[in-house]
Amino acid sequence: MDANKLVTFFEEDLCIFSLRSRKKFSALQEMIRHLAGTGRVSDEHFIMEMLKNRESLGSTGLGKGVAFPHGRSLAIKELTILFARSPGGVDFEALDSKPTRIFFLILAPSDKGADTYLALLSELISLVQKPNKLGELNKVKDYKTLIEILGGNGN
Amino acid sequence: MKEEFRLLIALQDLDIMIKETKDQSTSEELKNLGFKLTGLKELQEARVKLARKIPPVLINRYEKLMEHYTMAILPVTSDKCLGCFVRLPSVFFSAAHSHRLLTCENCGRMLYLL
Repeated sequence: MDANKLVTFFEEDLCIFSLRSRKKFSALQEMIRHLAGTGRVSDEHFIMEMLKNRESLGSTGLGKGVAFPHGRSLAIKELTILFARSPGGVDFEALDSKPTRIFFLILAPSDKGADTYLALLSELISLVQKPNKLGELNKVKDYKTLIEILGGNGN
Repeated sequence: MKEEFRLLIALQDLDIMIKETKDQSTSEELKNLGFKLTGLKELQEARVKLARKIPPVLINRYEKLMEHYTMAILPVTSDKCLGCFVRLPSVFFSAAHSHRLLTCENCGRMLYLL
């Protein structure tokens, strides 16, 4: 997947540049509520339950201040990514125990295979490992800049 | 939507996650990306607890369907059942049926109108 394809999954109304919640599940709830407000999910409850279960399998906070909560649910219509930035950091029980500031929430429909989101997950993880990308994401405050960081032209 | 149907949908989401975690190819890929998948036992325990809350008639029906199909409950995204591709009756799409679980008369799968 190239950068041009990657940026097509990011939409302006699916970005939170100042996440208020500081605790793990309230942060997830805030992201899901935001998604529900855009009509992308049919039922917040199903998504929250699925994400809680996913976190019990092992934290999706991979460390270095980034988390990739993800999973499949019947309550999601199409592959969806929500970007969120927490200026103060969230206690997300990350693998390195440090606060999480950047979130890529990836949700896929349950009738599609896991491969529908694994490629996306892989691409995003590679991206945040590139020099400077994480620093730039930690400062991002608008959609246009986010798309530029992700490799698009921001238009 | 009735609580028992909500629980059943949550159960299927959980079953899909357990299946994915047990799938060697998917779990290897996730591990290679840096995820630690150490909580399979916790997922299985959550599944037992959730299943206990669902009426036996409904869970038996769900589990019989899961013996034959990848998914017992499918979303309705067009006028056809995504499982057997038989056209669904127009009554399915009335407002009264939205957010309820219905049954495909051809294959018996449960259908969820998004």
